[in-house]
Amino acid sequence: MDGQLLSDTFVELTDTMVADFDIIDFLHVLTARSVELLDVSAAGLLLADPRGELRVVAASSEAARVLELFQLQSDQGPCLDCFRSGQPVGCVDLSADPRWPQFAHQAQQAGFSAVQALPMRLRDQVIGALNLFRGTVGAFDPEVVHVGQALADVATISLLHDRSMRRTDTLNEQLQTALNSRVVIEQAKGKLAERLGIDVNQAFTLLRDQARNSNQRLSDLARAVVDGTLALPAPGGSPRASRAGRIRQP
Amino acid sequence: MTSIERRGRVWGLVAEQAAARGRRVSAADVCAAVVPEVQVTGAWLSAGPDAQAGHLLQVTDEVARQIADLQLTLGEGPLLDASASSGPVLASELADGEWGSRWPAFGPAASQAGAAAVFAFPLVVGAIRAGVLGLYRDRPGPLSDFQLGDALVFADTATLLLLDAHERPADLNSYRAEIDQATGMLTEQLNVGITDAFVRLRAYAYVNDIQLADVARDIVARRLRLVLDP
Repeated sequence: MDGQLLSDTFVELTDTMVADFDIIDFLHVLTARSVELLDVSAAGLLLADPRGELRVVAASSEAARVLELFQLQSDQGPCLDCFRSGQPVGCVDLSADPRWPQFAHQAQQAGFSAVQALPMRLRDQVIGALNLFRGTVGAFDPEVVHVGQALADVATISLLHDRSMRRTDTLNEQLQTALNSRVVIEQAKGKLAERLGIDVNQAFTLLRDQARNSNQRLSDLARAVVDGTLALPAPGGSPRASRAGRIRQP
Repeated sequence: MTSIERRGRVWGLVAEQAAARGRRVSAADVCAAVVPEVQVTGAWLSAGPDAQAGHLLQVTDEVARQIADLQLTLGEGPLLDASASSGPVLASELADGEWGSRWPAFGPAASQAGAAAVFAFPLVVGAIRAGVLGLYRDRPGPLSDFQLGDALVFADTATLLLLDAHERPADLNSYRAEIDQATGMLTEQLNVGITDAFVRLRAYAYVNDIQLADVARDIVARRLRLVLDP
Protein backbone atom coordinates (compact mmCIF):
# COMPACT_ATOMS: atom_id res chain seq x y z
CA MET A 1 0.00 0.00 0.00
CA ASP A 2 1.27 3.42 -0.94
CA GLY A 3 1.89 5.13 2.41
CA GLN A 4 2.25 8.60 0.95
CA LEU A 5 -0.96 8.32 -1.04
CA LEU A 6 -2.72 6.95 2.03
CA SER A 7 -1.76 9.87 4.24
CA ASP A 8 -2.58 12.33 1.44
CA THR A 9 -5.99 10.70 1.11
CA PHE A 10 -6.74 11.07 4.82
CA VAL A 11 -5.93 14.75 4.56
CA GLU A 12 -8.08 15.03 1.44
CA LEU A 13 -11.01 13.38 3.23
CA THR A 14 -10.89 15.73 6.20
CA ASP A 15 -10.60 18.88 4.11
CA THR A 16 -14.30 19.60 3.92
CA MET A 17 -14.37 23.12 5.27
CA VAL A 18 -13.21 24.73 2.03
CA ALA A 19 -15.56 27.28 0.51
CA ASP A 20 -16.27 25.38 -2.70
CA PHE A 21 -16.72 21.99 -1.04
CA ASP A 22 -18.87 19.68 -3.13
CA ILE A 23 -20.25 16.52 -1.55
CA ILE A 24 -20.37 14.57 -4.80
CA ASP A 25 -16.76 15.40 -5.73
CA PHE A 26 -15.78 14.44 -2.20
CA LEU A 27 -17.44 11.03 -2.44
CA HIS A 28 -15.94 10.45 -5.89
CA VAL A 29 -12.53 11.03 -4.34
CA LEU A 30 -13.36 8.38 -1.74
CA THR A 31 -14.23 5.75 -4.38
CA ALA A 32 -11.29 6.63 -6.66
CA ARG A 33 -8.73 6.54 -3.84
CA SER A 34 -10.22 3.27 -2.56
CA VAL A 35 -9.42 1.67 -5.91
CA GLU A 36 -5.91 3.15 -6.01
CA LEU A 37 -5.02 2.24 -2.44
CA LEU A 38 -6.78 -1.02 -1.79
CA ASP A 39 -5.95 -3.04 -4.89
CA VAL A 40 -9.59 -3.57 -5.85
CA SER A 41 -11.15 -3.38 -9.32
CA ALA A 42 -13.91 -0.91 -8.53
CA ALA A 43 -15.68 0.88 -5.72
CA GLY A 44 -19.20 2.22 -5.36
CA LEU A 45 -20.96 4.29 -2.76
CA LEU A 46 -24.55 4.37 -1.57
CA LEU A 47 -25.86 7.22 0.53
CA ALA A 48 -29.20 7.60 2.31
CA ASP A 49 -31.38 10.29 0.73
CA PRO A 50 -33.38 12.43 3.23
CA ARG A 51 -36.50 10.77 1.77
CA GLY A 52 -35.31 7.56 3.43
CA GLU A 53 -34.11 5.66 0.40
CA LEU A 54 -30.60 4.71 -0.65
CA ARG A 55 -29.12 6.29 -3.75
CA VAL A 56 -25.98 5.64 -5.78
CA VAL A 57 -23.94 8.81 -5.45
CA ALA A 58 -20.44 7.83 -6.54
CA ALA A 59 -18.63 5.01 -8.28
CA SER A 60 -15.13 4.51 -9.64
CA SER A 61 -16.49 3.08 -12.89
CA GLU A 62 -19.76 2.83 -14.79
CA ALA A 63 -19.80 -0.95 -14.23
CA ALA A 64 -19.69 -0.40 -10.48
CA ARG A 65 -22.41 2.24 -10.70
CA VAL A 66 -24.71 -0.04 -12.65
CA LEU A 67 -24.12 -2.82 -10.16
CA GLU A 68 -24.95 -0.57 -7.22
CA LEU A 69 -28.11 0.50 -9.00
CA PHE A 70 -28.98 -3.12 -9.62
CA GLN A 71 -28.81 -3.87 -5.90
CA LEU A 72 -31.26 -1.07 -5.18
CA GLN A 73 -33.63 -2.21 -7.91
CA SER A 74 -33.57 -5.88 -6.97
CA ASP A 75 -33.55 -4.95 -3.27
CA GLN A 76 -30.79 -7.42 -2.50
CA GLY A 77 -27.03 -7.44 -2.18
CA PRO A 78 -24.15 -7.04 0.25
CA CYS A 79 -24.31 -3.23 0.25
CA LEU A 80 -27.95 -3.22 1.31
CA ASP A 81 -27.28 -5.77 4.03
CA CYS A 82 -24.32 -3.70 5.18
CA PHE A 83 -26.38 -0.50 5.30
CA ARG A 84 -29.27 -2.14 7.13
CA SER A 85 -27.11 -3.90 9.72
CA GLY A 86 -24.43 -1.21 10.03
CA GLN A 87 -21.87 -4.03 9.87
CA PRO A 88 -19.32 -5.02 7.21
CA VAL A 89 -20.60 -7.66 4.79
CA GLY A 90 -18.26 -9.62 2.55
CA CYS A 91 -18.32 -12.37 0.00
CA VAL A 92 -15.13 -14.10 -1.12
CA ASP A 93 -16.65 -16.01 -4.03
CA LEU A 94 -19.82 -14.77 -5.70
CA SER A 95 -20.17 -17.98 -7.74
CA ALA A 96 -20.78 -19.93 -4.53
CA ASP A 97 -22.87 -17.57 -2.45
CA PRO A 98 -26.57 -18.28 -1.94
CA ARG A 99 -27.44 -15.01 -0.19
CA TRP A 100 -28.05 -12.77 -3.21
CA PRO A 101 -28.52 -14.94 -6.34
CA GLN A 102 -29.55 -12.10 -8.68
CA PHE A 103 -26.83 -9.79 -7.49
CA ALA A 104 -24.17 -12.52 -7.67
CA HIS A 105 -25.15 -13.26 -11.26
CA GLN A 106 -25.10 -9.61 -12.28
CA ALA A 107 -21.78 -8.96 -10.53
CA GLN A 108 -20.13 -11.89 -12.29
CA GLN A 109 -21.49 -10.67 -15.62
CA ALA A 110 -19.73 -7.38 -14.90
CA GLY A 111 -16.49 -9.25 -14.18
CA PHE A 112 -16.50 -9.18 -10.38
CA SER A 113 -15.88 -12.28 -8.24
CA ALA A 114 -15.65 -10.92 -4.70
CA VAL A 115 -17.15 -7.99 -2.84
CA GLN A 116 -16.65 -6.25 0.49
CA ALA A 117 -19.22 -3.76 1.77
CA LEU A 118 -18.21 -1.35 4.54
CA PRO A 119 -20.65 0.79 6.51
CA MET A 120 -20.41 4.58 6.59
CA ARG A 121 -21.35 4.92 10.19
CA LEU A 122 -20.86 7.17 13.17
CA ARG A 123 -22.10 5.56 16.39
CA ASP A 124 -25.79 4.70 15.78
CA GLN A 125 -26.14 6.67 12.58
CA VAL A 126 -25.53 4.80 9.33
CA ILE A 127 -25.47 7.19 6.39
CA GLY A 128 -24.43 4.82 3.61
CA ALA A 129 -22.06 2.08 2.51
CA LEU A 130 -18.77 1.88 0.61
CA ASN A 131 -18.47 -1.18 -1.58
CA LEU A 132 -15.29 -2.71 -2.91
CA PHE A 133 -15.39 -5.06 -5.90
CA ARG A 134 -12.60 -7.38 -6.99
CA GLY A 135 -12.16 -9.44 -10.15
CA THR A 136 -10.57 -12.42 -8.42
CA VAL A 137 -11.97 -14.94 -5.96
CA GLY A 138 -10.59 -15.04 -2.41
CA ALA A 139 -10.68 -13.34 0.96
CA PHE A 140 -9.86 -9.65 1.15
CA ASP A 141 -6.57 -8.92 2.89
CA PRO A 142 -7.45 -7.88 6.48
CA GLU A 143 -5.31 -4.79 6.01
CA VAL A 144 -7.39 -3.80 2.97
CA VAL A 145 -10.60 -4.16 4.96
CA HIS A 146 -9.11 -2.24 7.85
CA VAL A 147 -7.86 0.67 5.75
CA GLY A 148 -11.07 0.68 3.67
CA GLN A 149 -13.11 1.01 6.86
CA ALA A 150 -10.81 3.77 8.08
CA LEU A 151 -11.36 5.72 4.84
CA ALA A 152 -15.13 5.25 5.15
CA ASP A 153 -15.00 6.35 8.80
CA VAL A 154 -13.00 9.48 8.08
CA ALA A 155 -15.33 10.44 5.25
CA THR A 156 -18.40 9.86 7.45
CA ILE A 157 -17.02 11.91 10.32
CA SER A 158 -16.08 14.69 7.90
CA LEU A 159 -19.64 14.80 6.59
CA LEU A 160 -21.41 14.53 9.95
CA HIS A 161 -19.13 16.00 12.55
CA ASP A 162 -19.00 19.55 13.71
CA ARG A 163 -21.27 20.96 11.08
CA SER A 164 -23.50 23.93 11.46
CA MET A 165 -27.08 23.53 10.31
CA ARG A 166 -26.34 25.87 7.44
CA ARG A 167 -23.74 23.38 6.24
CA THR A 168 -26.12 20.44 6.51
CA ASP A 169 -28.48 22.40 4.31
CA THR A 170 -25.73 22.96 1.74
CA LEU A 171 -24.91 19.24 1.64
CA ASN A 172 -28.57 18.41 1.14
CA GLU A 173 -28.91 20.98 -1.63
CA GLN A 174 -25.86 19.58 -3.42
CA LEU A 175 -26.98 15.98 -2.99
CA GLN A 176 -30.43 16.64 -4.48
CA THR A 177 -28.95 18.63 -7.36
CA ALA A 178 -26.54 15.80 -8.13
CA LEU A 179 -29.25 13.15 -7.97
CA ASN A 180 -31.32 15.13 -10.45
CA SER A 181 -28.30 15.54 -12.74
CA ARG A 182 -28.01 11.78 -12.79
CA VAL A 183 -31.61 11.56 -13.99
CA VAL A 184 -30.79 13.99 -16.81
CA ILE A 185 -27.89 11.73 -17.84
CA GLU A 186 -30.18 8.67 -17.93
CA GLN A 187 -32.71 10.58 -20.05
CA ALA A 188 -29.94 11.63 -22.44
CA LYS A 189 -28.67 8.05 -22.66
CA GLY A 190 -32.13 6.89 -23.70
CA LYS A 191 -32.56 9.64 -26.28
CA LEU A 192 -29.16 8.99 -27.86
CA ALA A 193 -29.60 5.22 -27.79
CA GLU A 194 -32.90 5.45 -29.61
CA ARG A 195 -31.70 7.98 -32.13
CA LEU A 196 -28.53 6.10 -33.05
CA GLY A 197 -29.90 2.56 -32.71
CA ILE A 198 -27.38 1.61 -30.01
CA ASP A 199 -27.82 0.35 -26.45
CA VAL A 200 -27.85 2.62 -23.41
CA ASN A 201 -24.35 1.63 -22.30
CA GLN A 202 -22.91 2.56 -25.68
CA ALA A 203 -24.84 5.80 -25.47
CA PHE A 204 -23.24 6.50 -22.10
CA THR A 205 -19.75 5.90 -23.51
CA LEU A 206 -20.50 8.30 -26.37
CA LEU A 207 -21.73 10.97 -23.98
CA ARG A 208 -18.80 10.56 -21.62
CA ASP A 209 -16.22 10.69 -24.43
CA GLN A 210 -17.89 13.73 -25.95
CA ALA A 211 -17.92 15.47 -22.57
CA ARG A 212 -14.20 14.76 -22.12
CA ASN A 213 -13.28 15.84 -25.63
CA SER A 214 -15.20 19.08 -25.39
CA ASN A 215 -14.18 19.65 -21.76
CA GLN A 216 -17.81 19.92 -20.67
CA ARG A 217 -19.47 18.55 -17.59
CA LEU A 218 -21.30 15.33 -18.40
CA SER A 219 -24.49 16.65 -16.81
CA ASP A 220 -24.38 19.87 -18.87
CA LEU A 221 -23.86 17.94 -22.08
CA ALA A 222 -26.68 15.55 -21.16
CA ARG A 223 -29.03 18.46 -20.54
CA ALA A 224 -28.18 19.96 -23.93
CA VAL A 225 -28.95 16.58 -25.55
CA VAL A 226 -32.32 16.27 -23.82
CA ASP A 227 -33.32 19.92 -24.25
CA GLY A 228 -32.49 19.67 -27.94
CA THR A 229 -30.04 22.59 -27.83
CA LEU A 230 -27.25 20.34 -29.12
CA ALA A 231 -27.34 19.22 -32.76
CA LEU A 232 -27.44 15.41 -32.80
CA PRO A 233 -26.45 13.01 -35.59
CA ALA A 234 -29.26 11.95 -37.92
CA PRO A 235 -31.34 8.98 -36.72
CA GLY A 236 -29.52 5.71 -37.26
CA GLY A 237 -32.52 3.43 -37.63
CA SER A 238 -33.52 1.85 -34.39
CA PRO A 239 -33.83 -1.93 -34.10
CA ARG A 240 -37.42 -3.16 -34.44
CA ALA A 241 -39.21 -3.99 -31.25
CA SER A 242 -41.06 -7.26 -30.85
CA ARG A 243 -44.32 -5.42 -30.18
CA ALA A 244 -45.73 -1.98 -30.69
CA GLY A 245 -47.81 -0.20 -28.07
CA ARG A 246 -50.30 2.17 -29.60
CA ILE A 247 -51.08 5.41 -27.90
CA ARG A 248 -53.61 7.98 -28.95
CA GLN A 249 -52.76 11.34 -30.37
CA PRO A 250 -53.48 13.95 -27.74
CA MET B 1 -40.02 4.80 8.22
CA THR B 2 -39.30 3.40 4.78
CA SER B 3 -39.57 5.62 1.76
CA ILE B 4 -42.52 3.60 0.45
CA GLU B 5 -44.43 4.16 3.69
CA ARG B 6 -43.50 7.81 3.57
CA ARG B 7 -44.69 8.22 0.00
CA GLY B 8 -47.93 6.46 0.84
CA ARG B 9 -48.48 8.65 3.89
CA VAL B 10 -47.80 11.86 1.96
CA TRP B 11 -50.08 10.76 -0.85
CA GLY B 12 -52.82 10.08 1.71
CA LEU B 13 -52.45 13.55 3.23
CA VAL B 14 -52.71 15.20 -0.18
CA ALA B 15 -55.72 13.06 -1.11
CA GLU B 16 -57.43 14.02 2.19
CA GLN B 17 -57.15 17.69 1.26
CA ALA B 18 -58.79 16.99 -2.08
CA ALA B 19 -61.55 14.93 -0.48
CA ALA B 20 -62.25 17.67 2.07
CA ARG B 21 -62.80 20.03 -0.83
CA GLY B 22 -64.82 17.49 -2.77
CA ARG B 23 -62.67 17.36 -5.87
CA ARG B 24 -60.08 15.26 -7.64
CA VAL B 25 -56.56 15.29 -6.30
CA SER B 26 -54.44 17.97 -7.90
CA ALA B 27 -51.08 19.62 -7.32
CA ALA B 28 -52.84 22.51 -5.59
CA ASP B 29 -53.76 20.17 -2.70
CA VAL B 30 -50.08 19.70 -1.90
CA CYS B 31 -49.83 23.25 -0.49
CA ALA B 32 -52.46 22.79 2.17
CA ALA B 33 -51.18 19.32 3.07
CA VAL B 34 -47.50 20.19 3.38
CA VAL B 35 -47.86 23.15 5.78
CA PRO B 36 -48.89 21.35 8.99
CA GLU B 37 -46.83 18.28 8.18
CA VAL B 38 -43.43 19.96 7.92
CA GLN B 39 -44.39 22.73 10.35
CA VAL B 40 -44.05 25.75 8.14
CA THR B 41 -46.24 28.86 8.17
CA GLY B 42 -47.33 28.80 4.55
CA ALA B 43 -46.68 27.46 1.07
CA TRP B 44 -47.06 28.34 -2.58
CA LEU B 45 -46.86 26.40 -5.78
CA SER B 46 -45.97 27.83 -9.15
CA ALA B 47 -46.27 25.84 -12.35
CA GLY B 48 -44.36 26.19 -15.56
CA PRO B 49 -41.04 25.26 -17.11
CA ASP B 50 -39.15 28.23 -15.71
CA ALA B 51 -39.72 30.27 -12.62
CA GLN B 52 -39.88 33.65 -14.34
CA ALA B 53 -42.62 32.57 -16.70
CA GLY B 54 -44.34 30.27 -14.20
CA HIS B 55 -47.78 31.08 -12.91
CA LEU B 56 -48.87 30.93 -9.33
CA LEU B 57 -51.14 27.93 -9.02
CA GLN B 58 -51.81 27.97 -5.30
CA VAL B 59 -50.97 29.93 -2.16
CA THR B 60 -51.97 29.14 1.42
CA ASP B 61 -51.99 32.73 2.65
CA GLU B 62 -51.32 36.35 1.77
CA VAL B 63 -47.68 36.29 2.95
CA ALA B 64 -46.95 33.33 0.67
CA ARG B 65 -48.48 35.24 -2.22
CA GLN B 66 -46.34 38.27 -1.47
CA ILE B 67 -43.12 36.22 -1.27
CA ALA B 68 -43.87 34.53 -4.57
CA ASP B 69 -44.70 37.84 -6.23
CA LEU B 70 -41.67 39.62 -4.79
CA GLN B 71 -39.28 37.21 -6.45
CA LEU B 72 -40.79 37.81 -9.84
CA THR B 73 -40.82 41.57 -9.32
CA LEU B 74 -37.27 41.72 -8.00
CA GLY B 75 -35.85 39.01 -10.26
CA GLU B 76 -34.07 37.22 -7.42
CA GLY B 77 -34.84 34.78 -4.63
CA PRO B 78 -34.89 31.12 -3.66
CA LEU B 79 -37.58 30.20 -6.18
CA LEU B 80 -35.47 31.45 -9.09
CA ASP B 81 -32.30 29.88 -7.71
CA ALA B 82 -34.01 26.53 -7.19
CA SER B 83 -35.33 26.66 -10.72
CA ALA B 84 -31.87 27.50 -12.12
CA SER B 85 -29.95 24.82 -10.20
CA SER B 86 -32.68 22.15 -10.32
CA GLY B 87 -31.91 21.59 -6.63
CA PRO B 88 -33.60 22.79 -3.43
CA VAL B 89 -32.64 26.10 -1.84
CA LEU B 90 -32.86 26.03 1.95
CA ALA B 91 -32.65 29.57 3.31
CA SER B 92 -33.30 28.85 6.97
CA GLU B 93 -32.48 32.39 8.12
CA LEU B 94 -33.07 35.21 5.67
CA ALA B 95 -31.59 37.78 8.07
CA ASP B 96 -28.32 35.82 8.09
CA GLY B 97 -25.48 37.59 6.27
CA GLU B 98 -24.92 34.90 3.69
CA TRP B 99 -28.49 34.87 2.44
CA GLY B 100 -28.69 38.63 2.79
CA SER B 101 -25.79 39.10 0.40
CA ARG B 102 -27.18 36.50 -1.99
CA TRP B 103 -30.50 38.33 -2.33
CA PRO B 104 -29.91 41.96 -1.31
CA ALA B 105 -33.37 43.05 -2.49
CA PHE B 106 -35.47 39.96 -1.85
CA GLY B 107 -34.12 39.22 1.67
CA PRO B 108 -35.24 42.45 3.36
CA ALA B 109 -38.48 42.58 1.35
CA ALA B 110 -39.42 39.02 2.35
CA SER B 111 -38.61 39.76 6.00
CA GLN B 112 -40.78 42.86 5.76
CA ALA B 113 -43.60 40.72 4.38
CA GLY B 114 -43.32 38.36 7.36
CA ALA B 115 -41.03 35.51 6.30
CA ALA B 116 -37.92 34.64 8.31
CA ALA B 117 -37.02 31.42 6.46
CA VAL B 118 -37.83 30.29 2.93
CA PHE B 119 -37.37 26.84 1.39
CA ALA B 120 -37.79 26.30 -2.34
CA PHE B 121 -38.07 22.91 -4.02
CA PRO B 122 -37.84 22.63 -7.79
CA LEU B 123 -40.43 20.27 -9.26
CA VAL B 124 -38.13 18.44 -11.63
CA VAL B 125 -37.50 15.00 -13.08
CA GLY B 126 -34.11 15.33 -14.70
CA ALA B 127 -34.53 17.79 -17.57
CA ILE B 128 -38.29 18.00 -17.02
CA ARG B 129 -39.30 21.17 -15.21
CA ALA B 130 -42.83 21.38 -13.89
CA GLY B 131 -42.64 24.25 -11.38
CA VAL B 132 -41.49 25.13 -7.88
CA LEU B 133 -42.92 24.41 -4.41
CA GLY B 134 -42.12 27.17 -1.90
CA LEU B 135 -42.42 27.03 1.89
CA TYR B 136 -41.87 29.80 4.42
CA ARG B 137 -41.65 30.19 8.17
CA ASP B 138 -42.36 33.31 10.18
CA ARG B 139 -39.51 32.34 12.48
CA PRO B 140 -35.97 31.41 11.41
CA GLY B 141 -34.74 27.85 11.65
CA PRO B 142 -33.87 24.91 9.46
CA LEU B 143 -36.10 22.02 8.49
CA SER B 144 -35.19 18.92 10.48
CA ASP B 145 -33.91 15.93 8.52
CA PHE B 146 -37.32 14.34 8.86
CA GLN B 147 -39.15 17.48 7.73
CA LEU B 148 -36.79 17.82 4.78
CA GLY B 149 -37.46 14.21 3.77
CA ASP B 150 -41.19 14.87 3.93
CA ALA B 151 -40.88 18.14 2.01
CA LEU B 152 -38.96 16.37 -0.77
CA VAL B 153 -41.66 13.72 -1.03
CA PHE B 154 -44.40 16.39 -1.11
CA ALA B 155 -42.44 18.03 -3.93
CA ASP B 156 -42.16 14.69 -5.78
CA THR B 157 -45.91 14.25 -5.43
CA ALA B 158 -46.62 17.77 -6.69
CA THR B 159 -44.35 17.16 -9.67
CA LEU B 160 -46.21 14.04 -10.75
CA LEU B 161 -49.59 15.68 -10.19
CA LEU B 162 -48.60 18.69 -12.28
CA LEU B 163 -47.35 16.55 -15.13
CA ASP B 164 -50.04 13.99 -15.26
CA ALA B 165 -53.43 13.34 -13.78
CA HIS B 166 -53.02 9.55 -13.83
CA GLU B 167 -51.44 9.27 -10.44
CA ARG B 168 -51.11 5.95 -8.72
CA PRO B 169 -49.39 5.59 -5.37
CA ALA B 170 -47.91 2.31 -6.64
CA ASP B 171 -45.82 4.28 -9.11
CA LEU B 172 -44.42 6.51 -6.40
CA ASN B 173 -41.77 3.94 -5.64
CA SER B 174 -38.08 4.50 -5.64
CA TYR B 175 -35.89 5.57 -8.48
CA ARG B 176 -35.46 3.35 -11.54
CA ALA B 177 -32.90 4.31 -14.15
CA GLU B 178 -34.90 2.48 -16.84
CA ILE B 179 -37.82 4.87 -16.41
CA ASP B 180 -35.56 7.82 -17.21
CA GLN B 181 -33.88 5.98 -20.08
CA ALA B 182 -37.25 4.95 -21.54
CA THR B 183 -38.45 8.55 -21.26
CA GLY B 184 -35.43 9.67 -23.27
CA MET B 185 -36.06 6.96 -25.88
CA LEU B 186 -39.68 8.04 -26.28
CA THR B 187 -38.65 11.58 -27.21
CA GLU B 188 -37.23 10.05 -30.38
CA GLN B 189 -39.89 7.37 -30.96
CA LEU B 190 -42.71 9.87 -30.67
CA ASN B 191 -40.79 12.97 -31.74
CA VAL B 192 -41.87 14.92 -28.66
CA GLY B 193 -40.17 16.84 -25.86
CA ILE B 194 -39.03 15.17 -22.65
CA THR B 195 -42.07 16.30 -20.64
CA ASP B 196 -44.53 14.89 -23.18
CA ALA B 197 -42.52 11.67 -23.38
CA PHE B 198 -42.78 11.28 -19.60
CA VAL B 199 -46.54 11.86 -19.64
CA ARG B 200 -47.08 9.42 -22.54
CA LEU B 201 -45.01 6.74 -20.83
CA ARG B 202 -47.06 7.00 -17.66
CA ALA B 203 -50.32 7.17 -19.57
CA TYR B 204 -49.46 3.97 -21.43
CA ALA B 205 -48.72 2.18 -18.16
CA TYR B 206 -51.93 3.51 -16.63
CA VAL B 207 -54.25 2.71 -19.54
CA ASN B 208 -52.87 -0.80 -19.91
CA ASP B 209 -52.67 -1.32 -16.14
CA ILE B 210 -49.00 -2.30 -16.19
CA GLN B 211 -46.37 -1.23 -13.67
CA LEU B 212 -44.45 1.77 -14.94
CA ALA B 213 -41.12 0.06 -14.24
CA ASP B 214 -42.19 -2.95 -16.36
CA VAL B 215 -43.18 -0.78 -19.33
CA ALA B 216 -39.89 1.09 -19.06
CA ARG B 217 -37.86 -2.11 -18.93
CA ASP B 218 -39.57 -3.42 -22.08
CA ILE B 219 -38.92 -0.18 -23.93
CA VAL B 220 -35.24 -0.08 -22.96
CA ALA B 221 -34.85 -3.77 -23.94
CA ARG B 222 -36.58 -2.90 -27.24
CA ARG B 223 -39.33 -5.43 -26.70
CA LEU B 224 -41.85 -2.60 -26.88
CA ARG B 225 -42.09 0.49 -29.04
CA LEU B 226 -44.73 3.14 -28.56
CA VAL B 227 -46.33 4.47 -31.71
CA LEU B 228 -48.90 7.20 -32.13
CA ASP B 229 -52.25 6.19 -33.55
CA PRO B 230 -52.72 8.16 -36.75
